[in-house]
Amino acid sequence: MLSILVVTSIIAALYFAYPSITDAKNEEKKFVTHTGAVISTTGEILDPVYTASTVEFDPMQYLREFNYGRVSQLPDGTTLREFTIIAEDDNVMEVSPGVFYNVWTFNGTVPGPTIRATEGDLVRVLFINNGLKSHTMHFHGIHPAEMDGVFEPVGPGGGRFTYEFEAGPVGVHPYHCHVMPLEEHIVHGLYGVYIVDPKEGRPAADEMVMVLNGLDTDFDTENNFYAANTIPFYYQHHPIQISTNQLIRVYVLNMVEFDPINNLHLHGNLYHYYPTGTDTVPSAYTDMITLSQTERGIMEFEYEYPGKYLFHAHKVEFSEKGWVGIFLVNDNPDQSQTGIEYGN
Amino acid sequence: MEISKPSKAKIIASGIIPFAFLILLMAYIFGPGSDLLDLGVQLPEITIEKIDFVNSEIQVTVRNTGPIPVEVVLADVNDRIQPAAIEPDGFLERFETALVRIPFEWNVAEPYTIGLTVGDGTRFEKVIEAAAPALEPSLELVGFFAIIGTYVGIIPVMIGLLWLPFIKKISKNKYHFFLALTAGLLLFLGIDSIEEALEVSKESLAGSFNGALLVSTVTVLSFLGLYYASEKLVKRAESSKMTKPVAIALMIAIGIGLHNFGEGLAIGAAVGLGSIAFSTFLIVGFALHNTTEGIAIAAPMSRGKTMIGKLAVFGVIAGAPAIFGAWIGGFVYSPFTSVVFLSVGAGAIFQVIIAILKWVREEGDKNLSSAAVASGFAVGMLIMYLTSILV
Repeated sequence: MLSILVVTSIIAALYFAYPSITDAKNEEKKFVTHTGAVISTTGEILDPVYTASTVEFDPMQYLREFNYGRVSQLPDGTTLREFTIIAEDDNVMEVSPGVFYNVWTFNGTVPGPTIRATEGDLVRVLFINNGLKSHTMHFHGIHPAEMDGVFEPVGPGGGRFTYEFEAGPVGVHPYHCHVMPLEEHIVHGLYGVYIVDPKEGRPAADEMVMVLNGLDTDFDTENNFYAANTIPFYYQHHPIQISTNQLIRVYVLNMVEFDPINNLHLHGNLYHYYPTGTDTVPSAYTDMITLSQTERGIMEFEYEYPGKYLFHAHKVEFSEKGWVGIFLVNDNPDQSQTGIEYGN
Repeated sequence: MEISKPSKAKIIASGIIPFAFLILLMAYIFGPGSDLLDLGVQLPEITIEKIDFVNSEIQVTVRNTGPIPVEVVLADVNDRIQPAAIEPDGFLERFETALVRIPFEWNVAEPYTIGLTVGDGTRFEKVIEAAAPALEPSLELVGFFAIIGTYVGIIPVMIGLLWLPFIKKISKNKYHFFLALTAGLLLFLGIDSIEEALEVSKESLAGSFNGALLVSTVTVLSFLGLYYASEKLVKRAESSKMTKPVAIALMIAIGIGLHNFGEGLAIGAAVGLGSIAFSTFLIVGFALHNTTEGIAIAAPMSRGKTMIGKLAVFGVIAGAPAIFGAWIGGFVYSPFTSVVFLSVGAGAIFQVIIAILKWVREEGDKNLSSAAVASGFAVGMLIMYLTSILV
């Protein structure tokens, strides 16, 4: 009896101390570290390399997607742009391979759709709240108090509100939910970019939107991940393709919470920076800007030499947690790649 | 008088019926009644049990210690995400472990925080105060640990045994004083082992192991097992050549040996974790401390013929496990085995205390409350406390 007890307890102890010896061996896999070493393993690879097939939110599509709304003319000649934005707060998205996070979304994505209008247009947003909590849309910009999306919470389960205002001022602005607790509603993903083009338009360019954001997946008021456009490391593994001698215009918006500042450094180049995009004269020619919460602006640059160039937070902690990307600059000797005229 | 004897079948049935109901209860809860338990939120939990710093790589042993299966999806060093591998795979059932390999050019003696993130985004971390290369088993190191074990275990115990002639010459009363002193020394060692076991379980064992209960269960089991074995041994001693004092001395040697095994584990682990300076101190402390263990073995042996050979063997039994402990602690340290061995040692020591007190009681006219016994016990505890400050 005693010996049986002893034997079983020893086996149990060994099992707890050294289990999983029995698991079958898998075949060898290889991965590359941040310093370039190639490591092989019989197990699984833990690396936030996002493959296109598993992306629920496609940062490459979001990058250059602008929504101009349903366009019509009012009797007085004003352009009316109508948008429908639906809020939800019960979706779970795979934000990094294997990491599932409850995202709160405008039209199903974080960030929400980029809303674009021309100065003086009438913007009409039908907001439907299909979430489980109250939400609103609060646009930065100039509008009447009752269109501010603060004191008129829109109830859950199909509540509606129509925001209507004249587009302005020219520039790049955020919109976000303004229901308390505000930090919670923002960090879960209820934000997006609102661009107001000048009436005369801007010079033709290859335009893109970058929302710098963070994800606090364990709710300890510290971000676990940072990114440009939500998915950590995405543009590092899927470089943004641009061309030499072509004007690139980036609308950049910082939505990172918890950390007081964020920044953006561009490799092998400098850019003209237009804070908030409200002025036609750049405030700086630099490779580094510092952004506080909802600070935003327009970056304009051209690459002279082809190749791969990093862009990332020079607050390196953020870049080591996902806020890092690559521009792959393709040679464009005959300048066949020219810019696109935006705004219609 | 006729007593209606229940049939054997009835006895068996009455023994089995409660079990049958228990099985029914379990089946209900896991089957149709599982909705009953769907209250509350079950949170994932993993525990980082061990971190080894090897050549250009940090190796992390992780165990699922929560109530639900988890998937480990991300590794970081100092809260910076690093590409890594997990073997055999990232999906962990309850209590399953895996090895996370993080290629990383770490620097000696720097502190590191290793973090692992599971599928719901929760991050778990463990702090290492100073990185040191993991010990690779080599002949040189095996020898090194053997020397340390000898220093800590065998030599001090042997020195302690040299008090035998002195104890031999003293009066019965003073002899009882020394036996009680031994019991006091051992009680201190037993409490020390339990404290150490609780500390290890608190630091490195997950809550789901119920550290304090694991320690008490193993201690009691070890006590009972050795108590049973020693009674047998002492009984047999009466009918064989071995005298009762020798049998008791042997039991004390075995008990101290189990305890020294635990001490060896602590030393090996300290060297393995890179706190070399700390372990030099530890070794000096243990050496002084363990000299008193020699007295514990010598005391009962002092009545009867002096048997140098037996005494030397007992010294080795008591001291040599420190060497094995150091090997295991240094090369294949696991907090679970460490807690178990420390608890086994504690149980063994408590058993030895009982044996000594019994011996004193039989020898000393059924009296355990004499001045000699009480003061011996107290002085034993005090000596241990004072030498323990050195550790």
